[in-house]
Amino acid sequence: MDEGKRIAWFCTYTPLEILDAAGLVPIRHFGDPQILESADTLLHPALCPYARACLAQEMREEGPHHAFFVNSCDAMRRLYDAWKDNFADDFVYLMDLPRNPGRRGEELLARELRHLIEHLEKTWGKVITPEDLRGAGKAREKSRLDYLSSTNGACGGDRLRIAMDIHTKPLQERTQVDISGGGEASGVPVLLTGNLLNPAGIITQLERAGAKVVWMDLCNGDRSFASPTLAEGEDLDELLASLATAYIERHPCARMSDARRRYDLLVDTTHEVGAKGVIYASLKFCDSYLYDFPRVEARLKQEGIPVLRLESDYTDGHVGQLLTRVEAFLEMV
Amino acid sequence: MRKKKRFSENKQINLLEQMKDRFMDRASPSTLRSKLFWETAIRISRSRLNRPEWKADRVSMSYFLKSTKDAYLQRGPVVWANLLVPSELIIGAGCIPFYPEMAAAVVASAGLAPRFIDRASEEGFSPDACSFHRCMLGCAVDGYLPEPSYLLSANYPCDSAPLSFGYISDLYGTPHAILDVPLPGRDGRGMLLAEQLEEAAREMAGLSGLTEKKLQKNMEEAVELSNTALHHLREVEEFRKSSDCTLDGKDTMGNISVLSACMGSRAGVDFYRLLAEELQERGNEGEDAIRIMWMHIKPWYSQKIFDIIENHGVRVVCEEYTHSCWEPMDPCQPYPSLASKLGGHFLVGPLERRASHLTRLARDYRVDGAIHYNHWGCRQSCGGAMQVKKALQDEGVPTLLLEGDCVDEREYQEGQISTRLEAFLESL
Repeated sequence: MDEGKRIAWFCTYTPLEILDAAGLVPIRHFGDPQILESADTLLHPALCPYARACLAQEMREEGPHHAFFVNSCDAMRRLYDAWKDNFADDFVYLMDLPRNPGRRGEELLARELRHLIEHLEKTWGKVITPEDLRGAGKAREKSRLDYLSSTNGACGGDRLRIAMDIHTKPLQERTQVDISGGGEASGVPVLLTGNLLNPAGIITQLERAGAKVVWMDLCNGDRSFASPTLAEGEDLDELLASLATAYIERHPCARMSDARRRYDLLVDTTHEVGAKGVIYASLKFCDSYLYDFPRVEARLKQEGIPVLRLESDYTDGHVGQLLTRVEAFLEMV
Repeated sequence: MRKKKRFSENKQINLLEQMKDRFMDRASPSTLRSKLFWETAIRISRSRLNRPEWKADRVSMSYFLKSTKDAYLQRGPVVWANLLVPSELIIGAGCIPFYPEMAAAVVASAGLAPRFIDRASEEGFSPDACSFHRCMLGCAVDGYLPEPSYLLSANYPCDSAPLSFGYISDLYGTPHAILDVPLPGRDGRGMLLAEQLEEAAREMAGLSGLTEKKLQKNMEEAVELSNTALHHLREVEEFRKSSDCTLDGKDTMGNISVLSACMGSRAGVDFYRLLAEELQERGNEGEDAIRIMWMHIKPWYSQKIFDIIENHGVRVVCEEYTHSCWEPMDPCQPYPSLASKLGGHFLVGPLERRASHLTRLARDYRVDGAIHYNHWGCRQSCGGAMQVKKALQDEGVPTLLLEGDCVDEREYQEGQISTRLEAFLESL
């Protein structure tokens, strides 16, 4: 891999096809949760621990520090600010993301994608053709389908590791994650929903307590592979309009305005995968999920689906204490 | 002069105390919906004893009491909005603007916030979320806020309003529109935002029953009034830049409510006109003081910080959120104009815009230091406080980051705040 073309990404609304088509190598950043406090001199401790962990790790690494941010929440915007301030000589880009679905949201995002392409071409010198974009889109779609087939039967931590492996490796360099040792997972089937989790944290306790996590509605889990983003169109304008629609209509994160569609999807998926309950686990200080929980809880109660709320500080040093609560929940469902 | 001012502050505190003692502690949601309550509240506010020292404050108090009364008594469609939604749009559409973040500040001033914050916690809202919004949510859940006919939030300054309004939308079954304010520097952003504003105006006009023609006329009028208010606001700003202006920042911090909720009304014009006139009449105080800038918002339940500041011979001469940051608008093009006002706000987009606004204020007002009040749970503000501090320090402005909470008095660490604040003030 050409290290000079490596670009970090953070949010699953990142249009990876465009970065691929520009000849860049997008690699998702997960930061180092164990050193996140070292970012406190640049980001307030009451900010998303994922954002702080990413900055903390990057500050200890050699450059280049190229990074792609999505203006999806206050934390991502503030991380972008701190990153840009610290790595002024690198390519650091912020893409806007509308909250609203429908024509206006799609138009705004299509314009953003066009702006991104122009900026990439200007900075990196490669003209992005419709063929480049179509090719990159097909490769991403293949990768998504590979994930869905390779995780068939996999649960919990195994499933999360496969997802994160795809996020953190260049598209052409993926290795097969060995899940053979796990055998057929047993336990109470549950669906895990939230923002982003440390694979060595809460999920390990869920499994220890006897849960079988059959679907992870997480941005570093199944949610990021749940919807296709394959664009169609003759020319670049059509392709970008199609891509914008696909991203706006994908399985939404809690920051998007169409919360009711997300709750419908959550309820439907819970039934489809045969989960007996929902674990709502989110990182601290994530406003999108802090304000979302009471609404989700109300909807799940209405559907008769039991829900347990857990919180993570991303280091997950406390997860041992959650065992009793999880066990009690599993007994109840 | 200082003695007189302190006396006046005490009188204002008395009004809140009286309101609290007489009504608020015992008030039920239905009390707030009774004519008698509002008539009594307005009578108390007009009594000689409770009269604010500045004539302009009498105008804003009267406007807010009337507007809030109209909202509770449902004398028109009530539109809830967050800080950056231009009030011209709501007033022009013939609706009653209600800014629940400001309502939370009033509840905190009356010392009632903890009860409602706890109520929000019972509903499942985390203590890590902004206490302005938790207080507002608690009040809403218990029925203490006027029912909205429409919810309008902008995706700035922070994530909280688009998210908490989502809950309110479920609670009341009320439609909620989010304004997607595009990032600065993008082609067509003005047009995209203007279209959203126009669509929201039409929906609100549908609720208020305005015809197309009347809506256009009202919008033009609201923008004209806003321009006149802006003219007077700029006069006020020029007075405040003088070295011994009689207006203290700790008193003007509440003007954030005027700047957000009164623009587009006659009251907005009268407020800033009277303030400018009175500043001219009063002249200068004749005392030199160490000058500081206040960033973000103050704690609404306590003046202790400002007592310490005053005791050190220091004066707050400017505040982050109470200054003009837009150009006069074209009344014939209300939506593109309002799009330019909203989209150009310094809190929209990357932090460098906010830092640039603050360093400009620091230069214009010749400040000797700056305090950033880190309101717990405010990601947009605290999240960028370190870079703001660095930007100001690069300009030679010593800056203190003070941890606290604007609404929840239980999170106010008095000892720690006093020690750090005093050390900073002494260093100036």
